[in-house]
Amino acid sequence: MKLKLFLYAFAAMSLFGALANGQSLAITNARIVTVSGSVIEKGTVVVRDGLILTIGADAKTPADAQVIDATGLTVYPGFIDALSSAGLQARTTTPAPGGQGGGQQAAQQAAAQAAPSNSNYGFGIRPEVSAVDDLRGGDTQFDAIRNAGFTSAVTVGRTGIFNGRSAIINLAGDSVSAMLIKEPYAEHISFTTVAGYPGSLLGTFSALRQMLLDARRLEDWQKAYAANPKGMKRPDDDKSLEALIPLLNREMPVVFNANTENEIVRALDLAKEFNLKAIIAGGQEAGKVAERLKSQNVPVLLSLNFPKRTAAANPEADPENLSTLRFRAEVPKTAARLSQAGVKFAFQSGGLTAMNDFFVNAGKSVENGLTKDAAIRAMTLSSAEILDVSDRLGSIETGKIANLTIVKNDVFATDRFVPYTVVDGKLFEQKEPVRAPVGGRGPGGQRGGGANPGAAAPAAAMPAVANVAGTYNITIDVPGQVVSGTLVLTQQGDVINGTMTTQLGVTQIRNGRAFPDGFAFAAAVEFGGATIDIAVKATVTGNILNGTIDSPQGAVPITGTKLP
Amino acid sequence: MKRILNLTVTASLVIAFGVIAKAQSGGNVLIKNATVMTAAKGTLENTDILVTNGKIAKIGKNIAAPANAKVIDATGKYVSPGIIDAHSHSMLDAINEGSLAVTSMVRTRDVIDPKDVAIYRALAGGVTSALLLHGSANPIGGQSTTVKFKWGRPADEFPIEGAPPGIKFALGENVKRSNFTPQAGQTPRYPRTRMGTMEVLRDAFRRAKDYKQSLDDFKAGKTKVPPRRDLELEPLVEVLEGKRLVHCHGYRSDEHLNLMLLADEFGFRIATLQHALEAYKIAPEVAKRGTGASIFADSWSYKLEAYDSIPYNGYILWKNGVLVSINSDSDERMRRLNLDAAKMEKYGGVPEEEALKMITLNPAKQLGIDKRTGSIEQGKDGDILIWNVHPFSPYSHVEMTLIEGDVYFDRAKDIANREVLAKEREALEKLDMNKAPGNGGTPPRIPAERRIADRDEADRGDNR
Repeated sequence: MKLKLFLYAFAAMSLFGALANGQSLAITNARIVTVSGSVIEKGTVVVRDGLILTIGADAKTPADAQVIDATGLTVYPGFIDALSSAGLQARTTTPAPGGQGGGQQAAQQAAAQAAPSNSNYGFGIRPEVSAVDDLRGGDTQFDAIRNAGFTSAVTVGRTGIFNGRSAIINLAGDSVSAMLIKEPYAEHISFTTVAGYPGSLLGTFSALRQMLLDARRLEDWQKAYAANPKGMKRPDDDKSLEALIPLLNREMPVVFNANTENEIVRALDLAKEFNLKAIIAGGQEAGKVAERLKSQNVPVLLSLNFPKRTAAANPEADPENLSTLRFRAEVPKTAARLSQAGVKFAFQSGGLTAMNDFFVNAGKSVENGLTKDAAIRAMTLSSAEILDVSDRLGSIETGKIANLTIVKNDVFATDRFVPYTVVDGKLFEQKEPVRAPVGGRGPGGQRGGGANPGAAAPAAAMPAVANVAGTYNITIDVPGQVVSGTLVLTQQGDVINGTMTTQLGVTQIRNGRAFPDGFAFAAAVEFGGATIDIAVKATVTGNILNGTIDSPQGAVPITGTKLP
Repeated sequence: MKRILNLTVTASLVIAFGVIAKAQSGGNVLIKNATVMTAAKGTLENTDILVTNGKIAKIGKNIAAPANAKVIDATGKYVSPGIIDAHSHSMLDAINEGSLAVTSMVRTRDVIDPKDVAIYRALAGGVTSALLLHGSANPIGGQSTTVKFKWGRPADEFPIEGAPPGIKFALGENVKRSNFTPQAGQTPRYPRTRMGTMEVLRDAFRRAKDYKQSLDDFKAGKTKVPPRRDLELEPLVEVLEGKRLVHCHGYRSDEHLNLMLLADEFGFRIATLQHALEAYKIAPEVAKRGTGASIFADSWSYKLEAYDSIPYNGYILWKNGVLVSINSDSDERMRRLNLDAAKMEKYGGVPEEEALKMITLNPAKQLGIDKRTGSIEQGKDGDILIWNVHPFSPYSHVEMTLIEGDVYFDRAKDIANREVLAKEREALEKLDMNKAPGNGGTPPRIPAERRIADRDEADRGDNR
């Protein structure tokens, strides 16, 4: 699996841009999911000058067009990640959520790393901060996201209470100005804390309230002063407060990062209090407040970063709260619930690092009751509608921006592959990686040590590796106790698989690699009810094995002999 | 063994949402044949209580059951009013905004968590209402929220409609941060002494008066630009106008007396002295001002400034005519305030009904909600507890907790539900997302994450 990911990444590097502006592009013989209209089972999409020119079963291919034969492929409107930090340098880390001990320290660190500002307000409570200022031009920075299938994204930082103003960008472009679709799009708010006041969630709400009140007053005052300045004290030209005025006038949406039911309810309360045009981002428990979202007409940018237990098993630990267990089980059902309740929603990556999980988890939403069409819509047209750019993006229609995602296999399946994306009419191609053979796991995996033709590419790049396959009698020198057992290795090129059997049980080895002088692998052993991660590295000279086992408890020597 | 124990405990403390989600405000119920401790008009034997649409409609013998009423046979059982905890930090996602000396702008209402399991545990101990207070990290803390523990209902159904707004003040060690070392790089926050604390309070009220003046001046047309709406000073103006209750944390009576003198100076009344473990020293002064005392039943000498407290504090205050309540300041103590009330009978000999009032009617009066709750009287809310035996017995437990006639805790159902929950847990733990990672992963929490709201130890320099 790890190898497969590696290969994907490898292949992603070999993409190239092929189309100059002005030239036209025709994608032929494709299944076309227009989203706005019906599916065309076999047709052509023609793109010219960065826009969609024609679509149809019998659309003509222009003579000068570069032709992509998309037989067996499906063309979707370019997928939109409705909330990301795409293109922003990871300058600061997200502070701990409000109220947690240590939040203050994280907030202080974030503040220390922040760009200098002459605002009247401290770091984290400056709504005028704009994501666009941190963007840079260039296509390659977006390779990974684009290869996953995305062509546009909302991007904004994640620090502070005011995350700042987001931008909607295309995920390619030589300059920032060329990438922008809409800027500023919205003000983004997190219920977190900053260094100093507000230092708790209590203060967060009060600080937001006071700033919004002050902004309203400033607007009134500035208007009155503009009309007749004589005899009136001059209002401050406060750029932080001024940045809030469009929010109060419903000219700019306010995106609240709110995952739990409590957070969502608090965001909705605040939106109601100040008549804000609210959008919920995250929304993992939004299904529980679907009716309120519907009645307040608040859409959701639904995170596909599904929660998962990350804590290791440990007999000493208390069992997890039932509410936590329920929460994780319920999150994949949220999309279907919102859909049933008629709440508008769009999918977003929610900080996912492996963007393929976006589609896997969208697929889980489908397994939990969301229709496939609704799932596709939630990453195309519904997103564009919520982001107020549906006149430009979100469907395959004549005149819209030529953002297309061309997918091989089912978009929600694990073998999904995106050979082409089109951004602003520019074609990006991704070579499909050669799929690595599935290593023999467990009994019957013995396939000999010979090189597998399928794995030729990576294997060829490596220097000759030792043949380490075989069965070893091993001795592990744990302080105060000697553990003995058997290690069985199989080898394909530089990939090794196998099992390690000791009195602790039988363990499958992972990430096994052969080197010119030995091998290394990882494994997990059950010990005292806990799972302990170990990393084994050894040299093989003749039939003698010598190495170390590294674990969180320390390193111990391992020795062994290979059986004839 | 530990695991089995844990399972049982967890299961018994968490209730399936389905059970309570059905509860609607304003139930109809007839409790039959109980020993009713009214906390107002003595104890009535073999008595029925009829609750109609959430209100106590009738108290008497042999009341006929209306068609729509749920009938509960309480033969041989004791019935009391729901317990009211006048000092709680339950269901708050944050307790202290300790960054500033005056944080009157913050509102506990903004951070209430209706899913805090402490609520359910409190219901199991008979608590039906509570005052949710800001912590004691600063002289003027945040605004409080007076709630009924309507477990399973959304957040906006918890605050008691019409309850007077309140605010937390604090004095002494916590305020001057005596017991908290500033973290590296952190500047100690003013005030650092008791005299500094008084200065902060006086300064805040001077500023509030100025603010009030600026509002009045604008109204009178003396100024052109409307004054900034100041969320910090607004609640203090309300205090000056007698519209907001001050609940002031403190241990030493000299400090509490100082505060009452300051209130005299600015012309308002302190609603309650919180903790007040040595308030017996100033009992007549407290009584004279109509100020209440909300105390712990014990915790004598548990820290330096509590050194002079004595078991007879509650008795002496009561004897001097002070309105006394007993609070928990703790999710854990909250579950057995009945036993804390019993201690008042033991130390000094507060009469039984007066001791019961200290956890029911008296806190209701201190919070200004006694027209609605705090005793079993016709016309009040049906906030009622059914006990297996006399609530002052160490063998007592709550069998049923009703708020406005709706059952929010039912011991029999809870016990029956434990098996259901255990099965649910078993099923949930098998799901992929709930499985521990096969290898690697973060270390597990040992012990499980729990917010400590135990006494003022919760009022650490952090944000909880």
